[in-house]
Amino acid sequence: MSTIELPPPATREADHFVSTEPFDPGSATRLTPEQERFYLASQWKLMWWKFKLHRVAVVSGIILLLMYGSTLVTEILAPYNLQTRNTDFIYASPQRVHLFHEGRFVGPFVYAQKKTLDMDTLRRVYTEDRAEPHPLRFFCFGDPYRFWGMIDMSVHIVCPAPGSTLFLLGTDRLGRDVLSRILYGARISLTIGLLGIGISFALGLLIGGLAGYYGGWVDMTVQRIIEIIRSFPELPLWMALSAVLPVTWSPILIYFGITAILALLDWTGLARAVRSKLLALREEDYTTAARLMGAKPSRIIGRHLLPGFMSHLIASATLSIPGMILGETALSFLGIGLRPPITSWGVLLNEAQNINVVALYPWLMLPVVPVIVVILAFNFFGDGLRDAADPYR
Amino acid sequence: MKALIIRIVALAALASTLAAPAFAAEEPPSLAADVAAGKLPPVTERLPRVPLVFTAPRSDWTLGRYGGELRTLQAKDRDIRMMVVYGYSRLVGYDEQLHLTPDILEKVDNVDSRTFTLHLRPGHKWSDGKPFTTEDFRYYWEDVAHNKELSPFGLPQALLVNGHPPKFEVLDATTVRFTWVEPNPMFLPALAAPSPLYIYRPAHYLRQFHARYVGLEKANANAVEAGSRSWAGLHQKKDEQFRFDNPDLPTLEPWINTTPLPATRFVLVRNPYFHRVDANGRQLPYIDKIIVGITDDKLIPAKTGAGDVDLQVRYLRFDNYTFLKQSEKRNQYHVRLWEKALGSQIALYPNLNAEDPEWRKLMRDVRFRRALSLGINRHEINEVVYFGLGRESSNTVLQRSALFRPEFRSAWTKFDLKAANALLDSIGLTRRDGAGLRLLPDGRPMELIIDTSGESTEETDVLELIRDSWRQLGIAMFSRPSQREVFRKRVFSGKSMMSIWSGMSNGIPTADMSPGELAPTTQEQLQWPMWGQYYEQGRKGGEAPTAPDVVELVKLFEQWRNSGSADEREKIWLRMLAINADEVYTIGIVTRALQPVVVRDNLRNVPVEGIYSWDPGAYFGMYHPDTFWIDTAQTAAASAK
Amino acid sequence: MLQYVIKRILLMIPTMLAISVIVFTIIQLPPGNYLESYIAELQAQGESVDPQKIAFLREYYGLDKPLVEQYLRWATGMLRGDFGYSFEFNMPVTKVVGDRMFLTVIVSFVTIIFTWAVAFPIGIYSATHQYSWGDYGLSLLGFLGIAIPNFMLALVIMYVANVVFGTSIGGLMAPEYIGKPWSWDKVKSVLEHSWIPVVVIGTSGTAGMIRRLRANLLDELQKAYVVTARAKGLPPRKVLRKYPLRMALNFFISDIGSLLPHIISGAEITAVVLSLPTTGPMLLNALKSQDMYLAGSFLMFLAFLIVVGVLVSDLALVALDPRIRLQGGVAR
Repeated sequence: MSTIELPPPATREADHFVSTEPFDPGSATRLTPEQERFYLASQWKLMWWKFKLHRVAVVSGIILLLMYGSTLVTEILAPYNLQTRNTDFIYASPQRVHLFHEGRFVGPFVYAQKKTLDMDTLRRVYTEDRAEPHPLRFFCFGDPYRFWGMIDMSVHIVCPAPGSTLFLLGTDRLGRDVLSRILYGARISLTIGLLGIGISFALGLLIGGLAGYYGGWVDMTVQRIIEIIRSFPELPLWMALSAVLPVTWSPILIYFGITAILALLDWTGLARAVRSKLLALREEDYTTAARLMGAKPSRIIGRHLLPGFMSHLIASATLSIPGMILGETALSFLGIGLRPPITSWGVLLNEAQNINVVALYPWLMLPVVPVIVVILAFNFFGDGLRDAADPYR
Repeated sequence: MKALIIRIVALAALASTLAAPAFAAEEPPSLAADVAAGKLPPVTERLPRVPLVFTAPRSDWTLGRYGGELRTLQAKDRDIRMMVVYGYSRLVGYDEQLHLTPDILEKVDNVDSRTFTLHLRPGHKWSDGKPFTTEDFRYYWEDVAHNKELSPFGLPQALLVNGHPPKFEVLDATTVRFTWVEPNPMFLPALAAPSPLYIYRPAHYLRQFHARYVGLEKANANAVEAGSRSWAGLHQKKDEQFRFDNPDLPTLEPWINTTPLPATRFVLVRNPYFHRVDANGRQLPYIDKIIVGITDDKLIPAKTGAGDVDLQVRYLRFDNYTFLKQSEKRNQYHVRLWEKALGSQIALYPNLNAEDPEWRKLMRDVRFRRALSLGINRHEINEVVYFGLGRESSNTVLQRSALFRPEFRSAWTKFDLKAANALLDSIGLTRRDGAGLRLLPDGRPMELIIDTSGESTEETDVLELIRDSWRQLGIAMFSRPSQREVFRKRVFSGKSMMSIWSGMSNGIPTADMSPGELAPTTQEQLQWPMWGQYYEQGRKGGEAPTAPDVVELVKLFEQWRNSGSADEREKIWLRMLAINADEVYTIGIVTRALQPVVVRDNLRNVPVEGIYSWDPGAYFGMYHPDTFWIDTAQTAAASAK
Repeated sequence: MLQYVIKRILLMIPTMLAISVIVFTIIQLPPGNYLESYIAELQAQGESVDPQKIAFLREYYGLDKPLVEQYLRWATGMLRGDFGYSFEFNMPVTKVVGDRMFLTVIVSFVTIIFTWAVAFPIGIYSATHQYSWGDYGLSLLGFLGIAIPNFMLALVIMYVANVVFGTSIGGLMAPEYIGKPWSWDKVKSVLEHSWIPVVVIGTSGTAGMIRRLRANLLDELQKAYVVTARAKGLPPRKVLRKYPLRMALNFFISDIGSLLPHIISGAEITAVVLSLPTTGPMLLNALKSQDMYLAGSFLMFLAFLIVVGVLVSDLALVALDPRIRLQGGVAR
């Protein structure tokens, strides 16, 4: 190696220098309180702020919170119990709530429904009997129930006047109140989505993580499996898996079985996302550093890699929930999946899926409204989450 | 004035009877062109020499005019076989009074139910013009039924009596004779069934597929070319008279299917060689064409309501009535309500062969069955599900059957919770748990699980209603829906303790029809599948019945089979019905359920009130759709309005 | 590049093999077999079947053979081009499926075009006007399509169309044209009927597409080159058209992979409700009655289509997007 010629030492002073006088960095640029908050904020705080920009997403979040909250107190919210039926009021049309009776303000009330049988068309005809108002009672005692299966109570938020009826959304062919059934159905339909996503999330994380982190033939096999599952038309898989559920199972077990089936076919999307992110992040310097420092793979994945894209995952998961809810309704339509006596929105919609309902008793199709609202809410909420997911961009 | 009119009418009547020749030479207009061109022989040569003259069965029946198309809907390609059911051209058939009368046959000599001499109509031809003779019977007997490849499992059950086959003789070109050693009273009903026993084949057509006639090599070559496994497979495939899926196969039905499967629209055209004529000597059928559309079964009520059909009954349910009624005027049809022939629209079947020993003991205890029956609020079910139009009943024959007795219908059907509870107490089920449920002797709470095939909301609804009243007996009821095959398997194997299904399928029997439903004769019976299997498999499978009344039922059934006298048969029937009513082997709920029938305004001769029954009756078959006709004058008048 | 293509094609083989095993298992999973469900159905309608005939049919169809043998027979048959026999229709599977394929392809094709046509403008508008009321409103429309269950929507639209327009219920054309040769009237009738399934199926695919397009476009719009272009004075529309849209278009092609199974599956339920003469109802019926060869062969065909579709879209993506090629792999 030849010697390197170094330049001669400086002959004059450099024209810049580092002063030794005390210096206050804050005097150069002053941060406003907002900016300071912004730069000091944690990742989650940033996400929340960005999320709030999406106003509809916020509203959707509130709606979802309310709906899920309602499943905790369904018994109190619903005017009737799930099984209550009134065979005198079959296929009753929805009762309107009035405030004024003959010009006077009476408070919320309904009129009694008079039933006549039209023997020519074999139809039950209901007319409002405007004789006297039947005021609604609030925070009253109605059908008894077991709150959360433990406490015997009978408080309802709203009940009909004694001896009267309150069918805000009409009744079905056995005289059961549609509104109450929708509220009870929410329990099953909404929780299937959550449970299913939970299972699917866990599966996707595990399998995708393994594939992404280890690469090689693990990755190859996982990719093939994913490809196979995704290539498969969903319907036949659903049908076959549902047919496997033994008929001897109780409704609850079948419910869990259906949830598991929906989840089993859903994890692939998540797994792919996890895998591709891991493949990318695996090459980052901090990962190498961690590895060199002797961290175990689980710690690397859990502590270093995952937080980088957890927000994305949550957003994807949220966006998959509507698919589950719709899957449940599709399964009910096909005649597999949940069936009466279990009540879910899918079961209710399936019962409404015939020409009689469309032409004569359209109020039985109302369960579709909460389905739409929930799915829209989840979509917007998930969009907001996804937009907010990577606040550092 | 009145006298004058009477005289004129009488003269006119006289003149018409004199003037009308025995067989008018009127051609159906749709065939006239072919006859003129020489492609078809004239009608006098197409009819048998002694055709069946159809006489008015009811007062509102009228002679008809030719022409028109009838549109109807079915749900599957396979349902094209319904046209063979509706066509109802049989060797012998049931008329509207449920009497067996010769149809394709000119005459049947029945000696003792042992010897049946069948007389064909001379000159009767297949739908392709070739003669229908006893050769077609011989072909079936020797070349199909006794051919090892075509019938590896032997003769069909209906031809065997205690395992013994009949003696078959061809007496001449139009006469054959079947002779059994023991009486075979099921022979004629089997020939008249909607899915009949075919003891003849179009020999001239099928020969080309039979190894005996074209040689084994050629037959197998044909098979391979057509994609069948063997010549027997090809022969079998081409030979499905009931499936109606081979447009080339000659038939004796009033309409011929011209569309091969798969199809979404089948076109059936008139059979030019059909053997029936009306009282004016005109060859039936009146209607030229039938169009069968295939569509999803859930859509059929909608399409019917939209006016896409001229005649529809299948896949219409009682709860569609209101919807159909709504569109009557707009779409120019009207809805009639026929009575279903089921003994009970829905019935519960306690499984006397249940696997679980405790439940089996209970199911075999008549007091338990009676208690369950008393605990059903049939009135409420009738009001809620059947609009109050049904009739509370046990699972027995209908009122219009000659074998009906009021005490059969009302046996154990009163809604009496006190009596029911007393019966349950008397069995010893007095212990109860904290929730008020009775306990089985081994301490388990009485949770009765009823299996359903999961297909009808009607069954689910009825079970909902029953659940509540049985709760007051201290019995918790759960329904378990499954799929049809699983459902059946569970019942047959004993895993199911009780099931729900439609009631007695033949609610309008005569004493000459088989009482097989009332005794364990086949595995298919949901209340005693293993006892039924025992009988069905010749005492080799299943279990032998032990309950004394059931043993008696089997004995009575055997007696009926060997009986020669109509009187004796009736007595046997009544005794069997009485035992069933008293022992409540099946729990009936509501009968006289109604079936909507949609008929276009201009379609005539469809009965206003009828009975909708598979066997006997063949749904429409008994009412002779070949005599339905389309009144175009009325349509023209209606559209002119 | 060629290596990659060959590798992917070769990889298809084990995939298809695995799918065939899964398909076979799926069909055999429900207890019983075709014969039993056939008998059960007849029983349900009060008909009885001669036990002799049943035994004959069981042997004839090979339903008494062990499962492995049945599978091998079917799989090897397919390789030879023999897709087996449909029990229900009593004829080769290819014949049963053949007629329906044509209409299915047409409906699917039109639906895909419809989905693109709706999703495209909405997605672009959403991305360029993020968080505006227009964004919310249009997204709402798009999401409505997926929110309303297909079967209910189809039934309601069909009924309304009948009452308001007089369109005959169900099917792809008025009954009088079935089986008749193509004529101008027949085409009109088909158009009149097909807007219902296209709208019902198409709208459920738009939501996902809108979202993905929006996300991709948003990504692109934040990139430096867009800012540069704007700074240099290029009008916004032109900026949009020339650069990010090209990137977004790539995504459209790759999205066929995820759109195709959705269209095929979504179409099945809608087709059942509307009673379309497409392959959907046929498949569902075959699955329910366990018509082994018909269901199995058709499912294999569908899976094959999807796998090929994904492969084609992946390859197209690689061809169109040089970044992917140069980076040596397909990133998603």
